[in-house]
Amino acid sequence: MILRVLSRLSAGVVTLACVYAITFVMVVAIPGNPFQSGERKMSPEVEQALRARYHMDNNWAYFGEYLAGAIRLDFGPSYTYNDWTCNQIIASALPVSMLVGLLAILIAVMVGVPIGVLSAVRRDSWLDATTLALVMVGISMPTFVVGSALLTVFAVHLHWFPVGGWGTLAHLPLPAITLSLPFIAYIARLTRVGMLDALGSDFIRTAVAKGLSTRVVVWRHAFQVAFLPVLSYLGPATAQALTGSFAVEKVFGVPGLGQHFVNAALNRDAGLILGCVLVFAALLIVLNMLIDALYAWIDPRISGAV
Amino acid sequence: MAYGRSAVDFPQSVVHAPVVDAMFRNLLLICTLFLCLLLSFVAFSDSQPRADFTYVNPSGIHTLDPARMSWTQDFRVALNIWEGLTSWDRKTTKPIPGAAHFPPTISDNGREYTFAIRDDARWSNGDPVTAYDFIRGWRRGMEPGTAMDYAFFFTDHIEGAAEYVAWRNDVVVVLGGLRALRDGSTPTEDQLRRLANHARVRRKLTNDSIELTLPPDAASPYAWRALADDLAALELDWGALIDSVLADHAREIDERFAKVGLAALGDQTLRVRLTRPCSYFLDLTGFPTLLPCHGSIEVLRQRYQGLPLTAEGLVVYDPQWTKPNYRRHGYDGLVTNGPYQLTDWVFKRRARLTVNPYHRAVDEISCRTVDMLEYDNVSASIMAYEAGAVDFLTDLGVPYDHELARLSRTGERPDFLRCPVLATYFFNFNCRDAEVAGRANPFVDPRVRKAFTLAVDRRSIVETVLARGDRVAYSFVPPDTIPGYQPPRGLRRNIPEAKRLLAEAGFPGGVGMAPVELLCTSNDVRVGQALARMWRQMLGVRVELRALESKTFAGTKARGEYMIARANWYADYNDPTTFLDCLTTGNGNNDSGYSSLRYDQLIASAKLLVDPTVRAKRLQEAEAVLVEQDCPILPILHYVQLIAVAPHVTGLHPNARLWFPFRYVSVNR
Repeated sequence: MILRVLSRLSAGVVTLACVYAITFVMVVAIPGNPFQSGERKMSPEVEQALRARYHMDNNWAYFGEYLAGAIRLDFGPSYTYNDWTCNQIIASALPVSMLVGLLAILIAVMVGVPIGVLSAVRRDSWLDATTLALVMVGISMPTFVVGSALLTVFAVHLHWFPVGGWGTLAHLPLPAITLSLPFIAYIARLTRVGMLDALGSDFIRTAVAKGLSTRVVVWRHAFQVAFLPVLSYLGPATAQALTGSFAVEKVFGVPGLGQHFVNAALNRDAGLILGCVLVFAALLIVLNMLIDALYAWIDPRISGAV
Repeated sequence: MAYGRSAVDFPQSVVHAPVVDAMFRNLLLICTLFLCLLLSFVAFSDSQPRADFTYVNPSGIHTLDPARMSWTQDFRVALNIWEGLTSWDRKTTKPIPGAAHFPPTISDNGREYTFAIRDDARWSNGDPVTAYDFIRGWRRGMEPGTAMDYAFFFTDHIEGAAEYVAWRNDVVVVLGGLRALRDGSTPTEDQLRRLANHARVRRKLTNDSIELTLPPDAASPYAWRALADDLAALELDWGALIDSVLADHAREIDERFAKVGLAALGDQTLRVRLTRPCSYFLDLTGFPTLLPCHGSIEVLRQRYQGLPLTAEGLVVYDPQWTKPNYRRHGYDGLVTNGPYQLTDWVFKRRARLTVNPYHRAVDEISCRTVDMLEYDNVSASIMAYEAGAVDFLTDLGVPYDHELARLSRTGERPDFLRCPVLATYFFNFNCRDAEVAGRANPFVDPRVRKAFTLAVDRRSIVETVLARGDRVAYSFVPPDTIPGYQPPRGLRRNIPEAKRLLAEAGFPGGVGMAPVELLCTSNDVRVGQALARMWRQMLGVRVELRALESKTFAGTKARGEYMIARANWYADYNDPTTFLDCLTTGNGNNDSGYSSLRYDQLIASAKLLVDPTVRAKRLQEAEAVLVEQDCPILPILHYVQLIAVAPHVTGLHPNARLWFPFRYVSVNR
């Protein structure tokens, strides 16, 4: 068991190293001057000095320095936000994203699973059709549309929630709900398909024939198997939710990590790009391992394959 | 791991019996964890009371280091927490007294300014503001490593600054070359050239009887490469050479700086010598790059082997010195000398300014605390303003801004105010390259540029396509904003003349002209399409749009890989030369590659004139060459920015530089 965990961990480290190297090459290769702001060009001398300051005048030294930093979990200074280090930026943004993301995933599971189960049990009824339609809307509607609508109705008109800003509990629900919508839709679909599969199988027929109540059959027997695909989806979904969403953060002014994924690339902010990508990759790897462990524990036959 | 494994394969017995219980236990665990997170969130969330005045800084602060900043929103914070020798009037933006008595003593030739710093000028920790603080701040603004976009303020205007910076920069490049040799990589041509000319390096090589001969100027890159390889093959202790070059340089540095025209005559007198008479110098002294810097920052200077420089020969301070609560090596947080001090700054969320208790005007300041909030999204900031959470918005640039402009114009929203900004949105014609991306570039011919200019109906672009209430531009310098200067009238739409010029240039009715490419960013597509339509209909020329992401766009434009490219220019100081200098030959911001002897001569001669009327006339003549004759640029509009000032706020005035001092603001809720 320990050996297996160790091998998984080392595989994770190798994956991270590959992600780092590929990202670094892309960071160096993309054109654009990270120091130029707006239209004004700085004098060539000033730019030369800045490139020397950050060791960008020598790609190998640059690579080595960043690698050494990354191993120490230090992503160096931000080129865009001079007064902050990339670590400070990630440290201030990641907890915010994680909080919103966790809440969103929680909402998604709490809402998505019952919807999926219900529509599978009442297959082809009006309930099934309605939830399916709603789920389709949830998948198709971009979060920035839903977010803006929620903001306009509940914050601007009804004054239930504050508009923008950050720091109180009241700031949490709207972004979390918006972020959870696509996840709800996916989870509901996965649960429904899984449940339909399970409900049609032999052991359920046996269970029904034994005279068990519908409740027990559905939740105790069918759901346990139907939940497995949802569980495997939850790994990448949680990683995605925890690292924030650019659109949701933009609409609600949430100071999370999602915005930095986009802005750091647009600004050619090397350290921040590398930091964000590595944080995301690490989260993805860790969560996938966790989910696999959970999976193996629920279904012992799989443990050999983990 | 299988994804979406079919449940049919599972006999019931395989599924763990205690699974459901365990899952509920798990859920409970997750919920508990989550509750802890929430509780910690509540515990750490700010319970600060609302400030007297709250405003939104769009897109956030990039830096609060005055020597390094170049964004308007950063300037706004800086000028509220620091104070230069002069300041800007909040309505006219003319120079007004700042930390020094006004006006300073100016020598007869207009090249020597002597500022007497006020006795009651105080830092936020009570220290008196001295001339040395200004020299420290200004020096940071030009030193390689710290200097950024506005280093040219010093090198262009202050005596000896350009020479000092060139000397410093030379050593930085030499050290870069030596480091490359030490690390076994190849020095660049520039590095080799400077290495060969550097006295210390030369001496060392001669001592080791090594002959270093540079290839001739026209040599191929291979010759340079060969030289670099020869050098790298030498068994030399490059590390020791680096250290001795650096030590020599550090020994000489203060002596060299003393030759720059900045001198403290006692604690409270600063004498500045300029390279030439400069009618707008008192405007520059209010600019953030020329703010003072408190001496406590010196403990945060990065040192290499005890020298006040980094190993790269640069002047670098710990970039976190601008934080109010940064305490390290005896540094006690940011100290400023303006009406406010920074007391709290949370990245990408907010900053709080509190009055500087030692400022001379502290008793007259009504807003004792000011909150700056950062909203990445202007729409959200408008909603917050509508909900009453914010008192002031400095920018209403949203996709529906034409609607806001209409509300402002009709008087339905008197709180939306128009600020005609000292800035121009224009298009560059590539005047330099006869061929762009394999296509012939017709715009090297001034007649073609003029024809394209004459064919454009700018009014319809400004009033119909954008409808944001901007001012139509026929000149580069905005009219009625710079005191004492009126730009020339410029060219109005004249289709017959445009057709005639185009025919004269060899393209009658547009025949024979390959499709023209217009380079822009995704924000300019609407204007680009309108222009393309006008040129197609009026001149018979096909124009293709090529929209690029902003950084790629900037690089492509700077390399001249375009025929027509969008551009904008925001004035740095209240003088036409802040615009007109851009189009002189060899200027770093001259993206059009325009080069005219007559224009260069007019600008150069205007710089030496002291009489303001004669000077303005000369500059106007120069601008007429630009916008009526050679047409290297096509001005479209002068920006008008909308701001929102809540009705209960007084003391904020629209102005051309979007300069909003909060010390005059009062709020009567």
